[in-house]
Amino acid sequence: MRTLKDGWRLLLALLRELADENAYRRHLAAHGRRHSPEEWRRFWDERLPARFVRPRCC
Amino acid sequence: MRRMSGRLLWAAVSVTAAYALAGIALNRGEPVNSVWLVVAAVCTYLLGFRFYARFIGARVMGLNNERATPAERLRNGHDFEPTNKWILFGHHFAAIAGPGPLVGPVLAAQFGYLPGTLWIIIGAVLGGCVQDFVILFASMRRDGKSLGQMAREEIGRLGGLTALVTVLLIMIILLAVIALVVVNALKGSPWGTFTIACTMPIAIFMGLYLRYWRPGKVLEVSLIGFALVVLAILGGQWVSESPSLARAFTLSGTALALAVIIYGFFASALPVWLLLAPRDYLSTFVKLGVVFMLAGGILLVRPPLQLPALTRFADGTGPIFAGTIFPFCFITIACGAISGFHSLISSGTTPKMIAREWHAWPVGYGAMALESFVAIMAMIAACALQPGVYFAVNSPAGIIGETPEAATATVTGWGFPVTPADMEGLARDVGEQTLFHRTGGAPSLALGMAHIFARPVGRRLLGFWYHFAIMFEALFILTIIDAGTRVGRFMLQDLLGHVWKPLGRTSWMPGVILTSAAVVLAWGYFLYQGVLDPLGGINSLWPLFGIANQLLAAVALCVATTILVKMHGARYMGITCLPLAWLVTVTFSAGYQKIFSALPRVGFLAQAAELEAALKAGGAVNVAETQALIFNARLDAAVCGLFLILVLAILADSIRVWYGVLSGKREARLLEAPFVLTRLKAEEI
Repeated sequence: MRTLKDGWRLLLALLRELADENAYRRHLAAHGRRHSPEEWRRFWDERLPARFVRPRCC
Repeated sequence: MRRMSGRLLWAAVSVTAAYALAGIALNRGEPVNSVWLVVAAVCTYLLGFRFYARFIGARVMGLNNERATPAERLRNGHDFEPTNKWILFGHHFAAIAGPGPLVGPVLAAQFGYLPGTLWIIIGAVLGGCVQDFVILFASMRRDGKSLGQMAREEIGRLGGLTALVTVLLIMIILLAVIALVVVNALKGSPWGTFTIACTMPIAIFMGLYLRYWRPGKVLEVSLIGFALVVLAILGGQWVSESPSLARAFTLSGTALALAVIIYGFFASALPVWLLLAPRDYLSTFVKLGVVFMLAGGILLVRPPLQLPALTRFADGTGPIFAGTIFPFCFITIACGAISGFHSLISSGTTPKMIAREWHAWPVGYGAMALESFVAIMAMIAACALQPGVYFAVNSPAGIIGETPEAATATVTGWGFPVTPADMEGLARDVGEQTLFHRTGGAPSLALGMAHIFARPVGRRLLGFWYHFAIMFEALFILTIIDAGTRVGRFMLQDLLGHVWKPLGRTSWMPGVILTSAAVVLAWGYFLYQGVLDPLGGINSLWPLFGIANQLLAAVALCVATTILVKMHGARYMGITCLPLAWLVTVTFSAGYQKIFSALPRVGFLAQAAELEAALKAGGAVNVAETQALIFNARLDAAVCGLFLILVLAILADSIRVWYGVLSGKREARLLEAPFVLTRLKAEEI
């Protein structure tokens, strides 16, 4: 049961990482800010241009 | 006692791997169950991972968990962040998994299941996984530097410039060929076209939802987006059954190519948050979900392989693409065995997120083994189809004939029986007007996947699963096209900025529009020539892409070998030098044949000469089109030649450095970041 729970937690953490939600949490922690729509847009505007300058794999 | 049981376990894995590999290699005449391929692949990956990769990590790289990684030393909460190894494994796998390992094996199945399967397994264990692992290690020890930067610093300026130009050219060919795969999958398919068209407003809705309505809720909107895409697939069936709507969504190859080109331009120039980012989230989740669903489906259904181990097309007369097993099987399957593109990911985001040095072992080597397994699954999906159906779907009209009767007669004549009624029934089952001449690999892969997914739940859902698989393939191919066009634009701006500074500024709108248009026109041109090609386009473009991708792997292995030579002299250079020697042999012989072969279906120049002779003799039906085909064949030959020259330059430069280091004439100076003791606690990762 514990292994299942750990596996589920790991899967959720992976999905959050892929969805940039973990990165957003780190951004809030690093800048000591709280979540707000403006803050998310600021984070997104910083992160996305950097994300889409790297080649995609074939 | 524990040690003994461990040894016994690994001995059992070794015997099982050998038995399964021998079983699939030596079996003739009787159908082989796909489970044998799964067992052979998994056991071989496990052995490679446990013994070969561990040896490389311990003896060659000297991985040390006491050494602080860039993620710890340069931690900034953005790029550099120590990450749990399994999360990073998933992240890295999601980044390296593209359409290549799905499409390549499907095309190479024309030789039978054996050559491709052996190349996928052995190539990955000894080549692809090693390349990804060593480049990841090298980048991690150099503060996450890119392949281009490492090439410049470890080999020389020529190496750095060659890497940049090679990547840009490969991007253009890659985008053209995968766009062609989508165009061929959607040609004459109102159901598929409607579904894919719907993904664009869905992505825009997701972008607006995330920016204004529920900021930050990426998982939530991805779930909504997925539900909408499933509704679009169901709606596609309704569209295909409505005569007026079906007509509106039935597009020719040329019209679809134009639509993809226009889409690529706008996606590259629009704000990233509106279209690119939401599509990217959605396609990543769908991609991972479908890959694991396919693995589950294969294990549940265990389909027998219908294609033989070796077909008559090993002699080079294959209808899908021309050329003998050596070298063409090894360039057709690139990403499932070894892919140069992975070295860009291994020297991109991943090295900046590794918390402990030994995590590079599962992330670098293990993720590529999983990618290779995806290629094995694609091979199974293709080979589980009735061979006659496989060849009728994948062969161009120029080879097997235009009409259903002519096409089925040709394929049956090759020893793979199929009738017009078989093909008509199958097309009806999946909701398509026809399945003939659907080159590119995507429709036959979708058919194979649909048969696997539909088996447990009933054949009446075959149409839904077929279009679900088409949606999955097209969704993430279009994501690569839009993101790739943008990346190509940045690369071009980077290069042109040296010529005229304003062109290098990514905020200068005229420069953005000009370079976006240049990149779109470059890959759009190759796409258009592929659509017009009477041989289906895949025959000329896929080998070009395979050669390019493998040449990029050769560049990465040059960098890796240079680093190993500087670390240990000649002692361990074989680890990367042998795969490099193999790749150089394969790609140069394939490149030479593609340019100079006397057979018009293989050699670009021979093809141009044949067309020119037909033109002079007055045998060409359409003069302008024939002239365009002649120009395209010569252009393809020039591009192929340019690839070979670029890689020859970097190879010669690398050999110069190796000789200098090994003969003691040159200092073996490693450019690693200095050792810093880690302070990272286990609970932080």
